[in-house]
Amino acid sequence: MKTAFFGRLVPAGLRCPSSEMICAVFCVFHSNFENIMAVLSSSSNLLLLLLISFLDWLSTPGSAFVTGRDHVTSSAPVEPHITECTSRNQETFRCWWSPGNFHNLSSPGTLRLFYLKKVMPTSEWKECPEYIYSNRECFFDMNHTSIWIPYCLQLRSQNLTYFNEDDCFTVENIVHPDPPVSLNWTLLEISPSGLSYDVMVNWEPPPSADVETGWMRIEYEIQYRERNSTNWEALEIQPQTQQTIYGLHIGEEYEVHIRCRMQAFTKFGEFSDSIFIQVTEIASKESTFPLTLVVLFGIVGILILIMLIVVSQQHRLMLILLPPVPAPKIKGIDPELLKKGKLDELNFILSGGGMGGLPTYAQDFYQAEPWVEFIEVEAEDADTGEKKDNQGTDTQRLLSQRISRHINIGFPDDDSGRSSCYNPDLPDQDTLMLMATLLPGQPEDREASFNAVERAPTPERGERPLVQTQTEGPQTWVNTDFYAQVSNVMPSGGVVLSPGQQLRIQESTLATEEKTQKREIKHKWSEDIEDNNQKELQFQLLVVDPEGSGYTTESIARQINTRPSSPVPGEGYQTIHPQPVETKPGATAEDNQSPYILPDSPQPQFFAPVADYTVVQEVDSQHSLLLNPPPRQSPPPCPPQHQLKAIPAMPVGYITPDLLGNLSP
Amino acid sequence: MPGNIKSVSFVVLVCLLLCSRLTSVGAAPICTNAQTGCHVLSLSNLFDRVIQHSARMHGISNDLHSEFEQYFLPSRNQVGRVSRNCHTSTILTPNGKENAQRMAREELTEVILKLLVAWRDPLWHFHHSMAHYDDFNNFSSNKALEMSDMVHELRKGVEKVAEKMQGLGITSNTVNSLTSPEALLPSKSAEWRQMKDYDLLYCFRRDSNKVQNYLKILKCRIVPEHGC
Repeated sequence: MKTAFFGRLVPAGLRCPSSEMICAVFCVFHSNFENIMAVLSSSSNLLLLLLISFLDWLSTPGSAFVTGRDHVTSSAPVEPHITECTSRNQETFRCWWSPGNFHNLSSPGTLRLFYLKKVMPTSEWKECPEYIYSNRECFFDMNHTSIWIPYCLQLRSQNLTYFNEDDCFTVENIVHPDPPVSLNWTLLEISPSGLSYDVMVNWEPPPSADVETGWMRIEYEIQYRERNSTNWEALEIQPQTQQTIYGLHIGEEYEVHIRCRMQAFTKFGEFSDSIFIQVTEIASKESTFPLTLVVLFGIVGILILIMLIVVSQQHRLMLILLPPVPAPKIKGIDPELLKKGKLDELNFILSGGGMGGLPTYAQDFYQAEPWVEFIEVEAEDADTGEKKDNQGTDTQRLLSQRISRHINIGFPDDDSGRSSCYNPDLPDQDTLMLMATLLPGQPEDREASFNAVERAPTPERGERPLVQTQTEGPQTWVNTDFYAQVSNVMPSGGVVLSPGQQLRIQESTLATEEKTQKREIKHKWSEDIEDNNQKELQFQLLVVDPEGSGYTTESIARQINTRPSSPVPGEGYQTIHPQPVETKPGATAEDNQSPYILPDSPQPQFFAPVADYTVVQEVDSQHSLLLNPPPRQSPPPCPPQHQLKAIPAMPVGYITPDLLGNLSP
Repeated sequence: MPGNIKSVSFVVLVCLLLCSRLTSVGAAPICTNAQTGCHVLSLSNLFDRVIQHSARMHGISNDLHSEFEQYFLPSRNQVGRVSRNCHTSTILTPNGKENAQRMAREELTEVILKLLVAWRDPLWHFHHSMAHYDDFNNFSSNKALEMSDMVHELRKGVEKVAEKMQGLGITSNTVNSLTSPEALLPSKSAEWRQMKDYDLLYCFRRDSNKVQNYLKILKCRIVPEHGC
């Protein structure tokens, strides 16, 4: 039935390839359209045809050029067929054929190409207008090329016609534009990190394409890859003749090529030749680098120079750069006092309080400014000036052998009324030494008090290590050999002892006590001025009652607050020798607050001229020298530091508080 | 007599006023390039717009055609297409660049307009038939609608261009088809109803390409430009 079917329908002269039954049926289908219409009306045939049409597209030999060059199927024995038709400019096109396996038809001229333009009303097969046998190519020039009109091609040998319906096309659908030309690149910019860069690639449209008139509108596709890579990176398709490639790496070589196609069509042309892009390290960056370094270091050097000039304090330069601010600078006075308006303290100092005025051994507050001119404050520091850290004082020398010893300065550890009066300040080293030497008794007390001393280092001699010495032992003071006669009290506070056997210890004791007192007083005054109104200066004038009938222990001038120079009384006990007492401004740690004045002795009543000498009988627990052991008195509210009950040699009667001021240095 | 003269003169005056007003309303404002504040597009500008429009129309038709091909006809060959007769095949169109360049401007314009007119109805129907395809996504349906609108807009644009050309004296006034678009329809205008949607898309894709190319060539001939 099939044969009959075919035989009826196939017209003479038109031979369909019979090897493929399906193809043959389809060939019939197309060749006899009207006949098929009748056939289609019957449902069974319709089904058959549907099946056939479905299967037909599965195998279409020799029609690869229309569907795309990728879909070359060569399953069937190859008969002469059209391999490819292409147009470059949408004005002409050319087709290539192949004889397939029919080698006898491979010689030129044996196969002829015919085409059909399906134009209304008539369409007939015409032969190829221009053969190029060397390529088995048929070229259609502009006269023979019509756009938007379907073309069909067939090959004819002497006997047979090889025709494939798939070889029909319209010219605009087979356009493969030539690749663009003049592909080149320019460096756009390099990233700040210097690792990547951007490149602008530009080109010219293919010369064969008529883009000026707009006959062909072309869009381009750039592809690039690294030299060693196999995958191409494709950029976006766009119609401009330039494009930027971003993010290329410095030092790597890139290969770039381009192709194009007509807009709104699918077929790309061939790729252009590749160009290579490579950007190496830019040297210009390094050239600017040292320049910036030089500038930077120059600026830094200049700044350092300026800083050095300022810091090194070249005086001339300093005077120029930083002229000194005229401000009162008093030698020996802490400029802080001047600034902070501690007027009372200032007054105290200026009038020789504490240490006796402005001892030159006081800190040189202006060490760094030697050009500073000082306001000289007249102060009786002539003597003290010599004693500035003077290790040559007799007392020092006397005590030098004892320096090595530890001194336990013990302060009475009496809790009564301690809080308000206790002065935890430490005496300075020298004083400690002296005290240790002078206080032979109660080592335990010393230890206890020393601990107390330890607690509060002197404000100005804080670093001075506590000298812990251990006295050798209690020294009995009951020794009639140790005595001296104070013959005079000098205005500067020194005590002139009459020639005679000078009790070193006594002197030192006195000196120590004086020193301690001074320190106490000084400390007290320097620390708490308001309280000083309450606290009496430990101004101990040794009032001696040679007869021993009684003595006036009262040596402490009570109202010394009027006079800032408290340690005067202490100094009253100085020996002839230079003041061993370094009445350092360091306050003593003793209970400064306690008035040395016994509560019972309100007035510094100094009685009649005292005897020339007295004997220190003992030292009581409170480190007072008991010249004539008095009846035990009630403990003072604050343990008195030194109740010197020695009998000083008062030059003239007693000294009222008012007169104490004269004694002050 | 004086009364008559008065009334006559009054009527004349009124007439003049009215007439001047009427003429001013009826006549289109004539702008020359020298006038400021007059936003009349130049012919070159009009051409550019129309060409852009046609390019976009062709792009959409191509997209739709490809989608259709994917969804409904996976066959890669063009078996069915080539033999298809589009309903616009009766319109004589230049088939090449040279032919188009040789054709008279008026004829070319007329061809363009004919093509655009011929596709107005078919595309409108195509858009409606899109709704029946469940497989088609909305995107494609919107494209179909956009396409049919574009044809309409493009036709209007080309008509304006023709008008302008006539006004500038570039083309003669022989083109009478502007006033009667129905005359432009091909004789077998009903053929398109028999065409399947896919064939419709194929034909429209081809015709939109034609329109685009013709407009380009027309512009190159009328508005002197670099490369033309």
